[in-house]
Amino acid sequence: MKVRFWGVRGSIPSPGRATNRYGGNTSCVEVRPEGAAPIIIDAGTGIRKLGKSLMEDALGDGKGTCSILISHTHWDHVQGLPFFSPLYRAGNQIHIFARQRDMHLEAVFSQQHNAPYFPVPLAAMQAEMSFHELIEGAQFDIGKARVTCARLNHPWVAIAYRIDVDRATVVYCSDTAPFSDMLLGRDFIERPSFGTLPPGTRDELAAMRASVIALARNADLLIYDTQFTPEEYASRPHWGHSRPDDAIEIAREAKVKRVCLYHHAPLRSDDENDAILAHCRELVQGDSFELLSAYEGLEIALGDGK
Amino acid sequence: MRIRFWGVRGSIPAPGPETNRYGGNTSCVSVTTAGGKLVIIDMGTGLMHLGNTLMAREFGKGAGHAAILLSHAHWDHIQGLGFFPPVFIGGNSFTVWGPGGSPKVLEDILEGQMDPNFSPLQTLKNFSATFDVRAAVCGTAFEAEGVHVIAHENPHGATSALSFRLEEAGKVFVYASDVGYPETGPTDAAIAHYRGADVLLHDTTYRPEHQATRRNRGFSSYEDACAAAIAAKVKRLVTFHYDQDYSDDDVDEIVAACQKKLQSHGISVVPAREGDELEI
Repeated sequence: MKVRFWGVRGSIPSPGRATNRYGGNTSCVEVRPEGAAPIIIDAGTGIRKLGKSLMEDALGDGKGTCSILISHTHWDHVQGLPFFSPLYRAGNQIHIFARQRDMHLEAVFSQQHNAPYFPVPLAAMQAEMSFHELIEGAQFDIGKARVTCARLNHPWVAIAYRIDVDRATVVYCSDTAPFSDMLLGRDFIERPSFGTLPPGTRDELAAMRASVIALARNADLLIYDTQFTPEEYASRPHWGHSRPDDAIEIAREAKVKRVCLYHHAPLRSDDENDAILAHCRELVQGDSFELLSAYEGLEIALGDGK
Repeated sequence: MRIRFWGVRGSIPAPGPETNRYGGNTSCVSVTTAGGKLVIIDMGTGLMHLGNTLMAREFGKGAGHAAILLSHAHWDHIQGLGFFPPVFIGGNSFTVWGPGGSPKVLEDILEGQMDPNFSPLQTLKNFSATFDVRAAVCGTAFEAEGVHVIAHENPHGATSALSFRLEEAGKVFVYASDVGYPETGPTDAAIAHYRGADVLLHDTTYRPEHQATRRNRGFSSYEDACAAAIAAKVKRLVTFHYDQDYSDDDVDEIVAACQKKLQSHGISVVPAREGDELEI
């Protein structure tokens, strides 16, 4: 399979000279099993250009299929969907997977598409769309690919995906806070808190961490939310994002082959990202895994079809 | 009035080297009035950068106030609000004027953006700054930060967008983005709204050949913008709201085409570029 990054940014797109090399589009990764339909993870603004590229194949003829796995429905993970060209072509089949919400997923996605926010309602999409509701722990197949889900520590809950196909594994863990300081869920949390957690909360976080490590176990590629520097995390543990150190720690325990820093903060310049990458590479000199930082256009071949 | 461009792109932010010169952020313009006050027009992703600048001033201390004029609620005109740092500082206050016909409808529209499915903020009520939301009634002038403002409703695809005429100390600035005139061109009512402006900022999303195949989307070609500028006898035209697929070179062509059309009418052309300022 091939894994290609179309959007690597968190929170909000960040155009401008300072982000030219890593890219300013929000989260979107394409996983392309050998000879099979694309599996897309997240639909941030990066999915717009991916959509254009897919229109050169079966999706452009109205004969294509693709699956979109959504980590969670915060804007930076769905805002590109109305600009995904294959939706506007009759005959295409688009499967959208996301965690179960209080209302049906189709209703959630309709909110983004409908008046007064966007001119073309979801019901007017020409492609046939189907919505698949997931919960953490779910396991299912997309063609020859096996997909497994685990819960992440993020406001209103995000899920991580493991995709096993072509004798290789990619794991996508974005967005998540570390599993140490705060348990993030449905409540709005206004300010940080550090310190002793109630035993129930501590156990829940430990279980979540263990399930993420199990999900990432022996992966060929682990893509991990590293939006924050340690200094930023210290004032924002309730925002639901991690530091590079957290990614490295999970990569070590899960014994992955590569870990990729991802979901860069919007105002992080290319030079700052370079410095973070260089620093992290020093930290993992004694480790057996490779450490990368995601940029738009980065393509990694894994397993069969390498 | 001093006008500054924070986001000049239409529909969706367009990052990448090909948009470096004009910028890839979605619609946001600030107007510093002759009286030193602040009026913000539209809340695309450019708003985040305006907000970061404002934090160095009274907004960083919770003592800031501004008016926000909203043309319509499509994403590219509101998506910056949750990333506007001054909203997280208690004591700051904003008066928002926009469409919807009633303050309740407009507030619900803004609230929908903060829905917990989509935003970790979960509700506008979690902002520390206060918002006074008002409905802009077309044709009825209102005062925003000492500026006399008149709103006009232009067709925009299946919906409409407000254009705003700002008058202060005898100077006139008109903001008219997201405008899809009938095939006959700018309407008489629109021309009257723009009449004699010192600066007309107008939607120039498309080259004519692209507009022809996408007329239902409700955007102007540069020809529409030039026709409006000529008919309304404005002094300067600002090109704005460039299509997300247009590179800087494509936008250069739009600007050059406008200059060519307007030269003989004595109307100068100012291309909106992120970070540029314009004094009226």
